[in-house]
This record gives sequence, C-alpha cells and structure tokens, in this order.
Amino acid sequence: MLPMHWGRAYRDLREYAQLIEDLDYDELWLSEHHFFYDGYCPALLPAAASVLSITRRLRVGTGMLLLPMQDPHRLATVAHDLNQRSGGRLDLGVGMGYRDIEFDGHGISRKQRLPRMLRGLEVLEAEQREGGATLWMGAQLIDPVKRAGQHGHPILFSAALPVERCRTLAGVWEEGWRESGRSEPKPTLGALRNIWVTEDDEERAAARDWVRASYVQYAGLGWTLPAVGEHAQADFAEETDNAIQATVETTITGSADECVEQLREFEAMGIDHIAFRLMLDGAPRAAIESQIRRLATLVMPRLRSPVGSRA
Amino acid sequence: MRLGLVLAEGHEKELARLAEEHGLFGVLAGSGDPLTAVNAAVYASTATEFARIIVRVSLGLEHPVLIAEELAVLDNVNNGRTVVLADTEELDEEAAEDEIAVLREALAGRPVQHDGPVWKVPAGLPANVTAPKSISVTPKPAQIEVPFWITGRAGVAISARDRSLALLALSPADLDGARPLQSARDAISGDVARDRERLTTWAGAGVTHLLIDLPEGPVGDLLTAISRYLAPEVGMPHFPRVMSESKVPLPWPGER
Repeated sequence: MLPMHWGRAYRDLREYAQLIEDLDYDELWLSEHHFFYDGYCPALLPAAASVLSITRRLRVGTGMLLLPMQDPHRLATVAHDLNQRSGGRLDLGVGMGYRDIEFDGHGISRKQRLPRMLRGLEVLEAEQREGGATLWMGAQLIDPVKRAGQHGHPILFSAALPVERCRTLAGVWEEGWRESGRSEPKPTLGALRNIWVTEDDEERAAARDWVRASYVQYAGLGWTLPAVGEHAQADFAEETDNAIQATVETTITGSADECVEQLREFEAMGIDHIAFRLMLDGAPRAAIESQIRRLATLVMPRLRSPVGSRA
Repeated sequence: MRLGLVLAEGHEKELARLAEEHGLFGVLAGSGDPLTAVNAAVYASTATEFARIIVRVSLGLEHPVLIAEELAVLDNVNNGRTVVLADTEELDEEAAEDEIAVLREALAGRPVQHDGPVWKVPAGLPANVTAPKSISVTPKPAQIEVPFWITGRAGVAISARDRSLALLALSPADLDGARPLQSARDAISGDVARDRERLTTWAGAGVTHLLIDLPEGPVGDLLTAISRYLAPEVGMPHFPRVMSESKVPLPWPGER
C-alpha cells in the first residue's frame, strides 16, 4: 500500500536486475495480475524485455504468466523473439489464473480456462521442442503438478506453500516424471520463498511484518490456496488473518547458518531453484538492497556446492 | 519538420541509441513482425533516454485490453515516451475504430465500460460471476495521454473523421495540412543532394514529423548525413547551408 510512481517501479526493476546480476544471482522472476489498483504488472514479457535488454547473463522468468488469457500462437512468437534477442535467457512460466475479473476483462469465460490452458500448453510445448524458451509451470494441486511431471515441465512453487506441502507436491511431480519414462535429463524444481537473513531480533520482526503486509494483497486479490491431501485450505479472502499468519510462519529467517539449513530441506526434495521473495511491501529500498547483498555473500556461495560434495 | 528513424528488425537497441545520439526526435519500432513490436519497442526504450518510441500496433491480432496493458508497461519502462502507431491491417473501418476506442479508453483515466460493434469490455460472461461491470487497466501510462497515430488501409478515412488520430502519410496524396500533427514515412537514398530535395518537399507540404527508412550502407555515415545535412535543412526556414558545409571542428586530441 506504500505509494510509489509506477515508472519508478520499472526503473527499480532494472536497477535491481543489474545489482543481482553483478552479485552472481542466476535468475529473476516476475509475477502477473490485472486491473489491480497498485499497478501490479499485467504484461510480463515487456517487463522481462526491459531487464533482458540491459543484462548479459541473468535469466528472467515469468512466474507466472496467465496463459488462458493469451493467444498462445502470438505468445509463442513473442516469447521466441525475446528468447532469441536475449541469447536464450527467458524462462516462460505459465499458470492458469483465478480471478473472474481478469478473465472477464479479457473476454474469456472462466469455464474455458482449463481447455485454453491445455491448448496453450500444446502450442508452447511444440515451441519449446523447436528450441523456444524453457517452459515452467505454476501449480499447487495434485493433477496439474503430476501432469507437469509427466510432461517434464519444472514447477516454481508459491512462497505461500508450507514446506510440507512443497514436499508432498514435489513427490507428486516426481511420480509423474517417473511414470512418463521420459528420456531427457530431469529438470530441477523451483520454489519461491520468503527469506530474511538477520541475527537482529528487531530486524527479524520488521521483515516478518513486511511479509505479513505483502500478503494482505492476496486477500484483496481474493486468493485461496485450496486443500491438497492432508494440507488444509488457506483462504486469504475469507480467513485473512489465519492465512496470512500461516504464511508468515513459513518465512525463513535467522542467521546465515539457520537459513542455509532450512534451504537445504528444499534441496533434499529436488528443489534446486530458490527464488528469494524480497520485494516486500513496506521494506525500504536500503533494507532490500542490504538483504540482496547479504544473501549473495553469506548464503548463496554455500548453496552452490552440491550436497554430495560437503562430506 | 522533425526527423525520426525507422528501426530495422533485430537491431532496435543499437539503432535507437545511435538515433538519439544524432538528435532525432524518435524511432519507429515494429517495422518487421507485428507480433514482436512491443519487444522491439522495449529494447529501443532502454537504449535511449529522450527519444520518443513510436510502436507499431497491428490491430486485430489480440484482445485490445491485453495490448493496452503491454503498452502501459512499455510507457512506464520508457517514462512516458510512447507513441502508438495503430496499423489497421486487414480490419474494416468499423472494426478498427472500435479496437482503437478500446485501446484509448483502457489507457485513459476512467474505468472502462465499452460496448461497441466488435468489443464489449468487460465481457459480462455468465461464468465470471464475481466480475464487476467495469475494469481499470493498471498501471496507467506514465504520460497523461498517449499519442495515437494511424496507418493502414482504413486509416485515411478514420483519421479524416477523427482529427486526434494523426495519419502517417506514405505518399503526398495522404497529406492534410489542416491536421495539427502530420506525420509521414519515407526512405532516403544516401545521396545528400537528392535527399535534401526530397525532405524539403515533405516539409513544404506541411509534414511535422518524418520517419526515415535508411538505405543499405554504413549506418553511422547515414545518420551523420541526416543529422548534419538533412535535419538542419528542414529544421528552420532558409537554413544557412554554410553551417553544415563548413569544416567539422577538430576532434579532441587523442580521440579516435
């Protein structure tokens, strides 16, 4: 809810991208919503292009671009062009969307979202086979996660998923992958995580509160994380406080040692891409930049070494 | 008359940077595949600081709200330097006008509630039960009002009815000196004398902004010819040609 000029947000995006590239980060992920008061980015490929055009090594992923709202053939062409321009640095993550207003504003019936998603995936899968951008999926239910495994698509799990739920879904993805008998190298999975490295109690409290504030947005967006197996539903719109509190509890905070230990849990699940969710509502830029540097110097080098080589 | 550059597909970043270095008012992105025009415009945007980014938007290829969202992001990336060149392509006048109307409403400050001959926004589809009766495209563009130019088969008739849509003239027959803004597009040959004459004719006919297609050849030399000989010639009446034909000042010692 903090005021910011939209132009400044896009300038900041480019400046952060250059900073994290300099600090040896591998990837930057962007997310999409439509018609929201704060200017939440509704068009990820132009935003990705703005980063790719000024960086040389950093990969940029859409996490997630809402596929049913796009003409997949046009999308495939635009993504192909951007991937070519950037030397193959685009990761095309796609998801289904859930807000009625977003479908209606684009003239699409919500009833059509699954068939449009599946048809779109066919088009993008064909494009990927021709050397197009790597496809990623955003999913948190059993069937789509399994399907992603069967089709060999990596998944970027939401930061709101508790660790145990990530473990369940990573297992489902693995099952789908095994069943498919695919011969290509197995892709690695990814997870977005709220994280703040600090040993200072005051800073830790502030960071957790910034995480809380950032999830109020999902109440406004009307998001529900549906139940899966033994994992309960989290309804951000109707049970806002409970859902937000549960999500805040998934935040990784503590010393570098403590953070690395918690991140290793994801590595053990086969999740090798961790996207740090740091652009938190209320966090001053100086705090975010400091955290970006801390993660780069205190945490990332230790995660670079493979688990098997630590003994 | 002010001069701009048509960017060759795939080279938008370096050409836009050069165009700005040579003082051109703007660049046209999207001269190639219409689907990738916004990518081209973003690459031109991040390579420049001042130049207007004219982006060709081919109508009839996607839902106009989705296109408006891309344009809004583009305009924030380039801090309000976007000019939309709506290309009517194969659409008839009614369909093109309706699509342009949605684009402009979506990029303006009011909530969108459009019910036209082709587009209804929001659609009001029965399955979208919680959707409200209007939407607001966000982010809004950085500039107060995005300029719209028009080209394509249906463009002449549409711009004649709506004077706020500046027609991009491709031939002298398209010109209308009564328009407050009259843009045009033409190729130069690389021969300064011939190009001077050609551009002077456009300026004399009332063109305000001319987008130039470059011929084959060394781009740096061609842009130098534009900035040194052609832009001044059409930048003021009775340009004292001695200014451009005098010797170029010596470079700073050591410079290459």
